[in-house]
Amino acid sequence: MRRVLIGLSLLLCATLPPTTYADDGIAVQDPYVRLVPPGAPTTGAFMVISNSSAADRKLIRAASPAAKTVELHTHLNENGVMKMRPVPDIEIKAGGRTELKPGSYHVMLIDMTKPLQEGDEVPIDLTFDDGSTQHIAAPVRRIQSAPAMPAAAHGGMKH
Amino acid sequence: MKQRILIASALILGVLLVWLAFFWQPPATDTANRASNDTPGSHAPSLPPGGDFSLQGPQGPLSLADYRGRIVLVYFGYTFCPDVCPTALSAMGQAFSMLTPEEQAGVAGVFVSVDPERDTTDVLKAYAPFFHPQIVGVTGSVDDIARVARQYGVRYMKQKADDGKPYSVDHTSFTYVIDASGKLIAQLPHGSPPQAIIDMIRTLRK
Ligand SMILES: [Cu+2]
Repeated sequence: MRRVLIGLSLLLCATLPPTTYADDGIAVQDPYVRLVPPGAPTTGAFMVISNSSAADRKLIRAASPAAKTVELHTHLNENGVMKMRPVPDIEIKAGGRTELKPGSYHVMLIDMTKPLQEGDEVPIDLTFDDGSTQHIAAPVRRIQSAPAMPAAAHGGMKH
Repeated sequence: MKQRILIASALILGVLLVWLAFFWQPPATDTANRASNDTPGSHAPSLPPGGDFSLQGPQGPLSLADYRGRIVLVYFGYTFCPDVCPTALSAMGQAFSMLTPEEQAGVAGVFVSVDPERDTTDVLKAYAPFFHPQIVGVTGSVDDIARVARQYGVRYMKQKADDGKPYSVDHTSFTYVIDASGKLIAQLPHGSPPQAIIDMIRTLRK
């Protein structure tokens, strides 16, 4: 019986996709910051965060030298009224991914320290509830209308 | 000991695989796609009255009536808005730039601020044309804005902010379509793609 189980466990291990167990399992893909008009004091950073670990993770903090205040936000659509609200954290389920995207979760940059130009790279530090940190550089992009975009988020680009 | 760990991991992996097979669902598709499935410019059961208004534009007073003979798209938002307003205005701007020159000459975009305290005409002058040169930003007194918003069924509410932090403004996000006679014809839902806007404009030009 024991042998069967051992065999089974080895078999299961072999069928799992290769994963690096050394890191915390968090990967950030396709980060970008929305290019906003001159003088606009706020913008959002978007990205896809995936969690290949066996534990749920939460993004609990974002920081960037590009803005005086950096917050985690989401949008709620309540009967057509768009409400932007700070959130304490953004969860990434074990083995899952969470999209930070227009109209939804975003890293909100408030009071930019200098105007952002298309192509600038915005450094952002993301801190997770296990104490790990990811440093990313999010390029400033002019966002065309939403429907043209989401496909790009499915690419396997690693940063 | 080693075998126990292996057995335990086998069980955990087994449970995980079963869970993945039965319960894992890929993240929901973008809400914007849902909006694009709506018929472009589907008339809401009860369209607000709409109608003329006069506010302050980049070169002084600006009235909707100044655009008679053109199709006008009106959007209500504010410049501190990091996401919702830029999304809607980008779609409007993209739609305008995809029109033929002749069609372009027959349209205009108006961005009405629901945050008149911060959105001065100067702020709006730098903001609105970023999305397309044919979009102008207009503002007015708190009362003027409230009146125009009421005409168009726009709901907005300034939010409290922590000390020293800028406040945000909750607001509805429709793009209002005004025909050449000044009549409100449709309200396009948030997330309407440029093509839906173009279709609307072309339908009205027929
Ligand atoms: Cu925000």
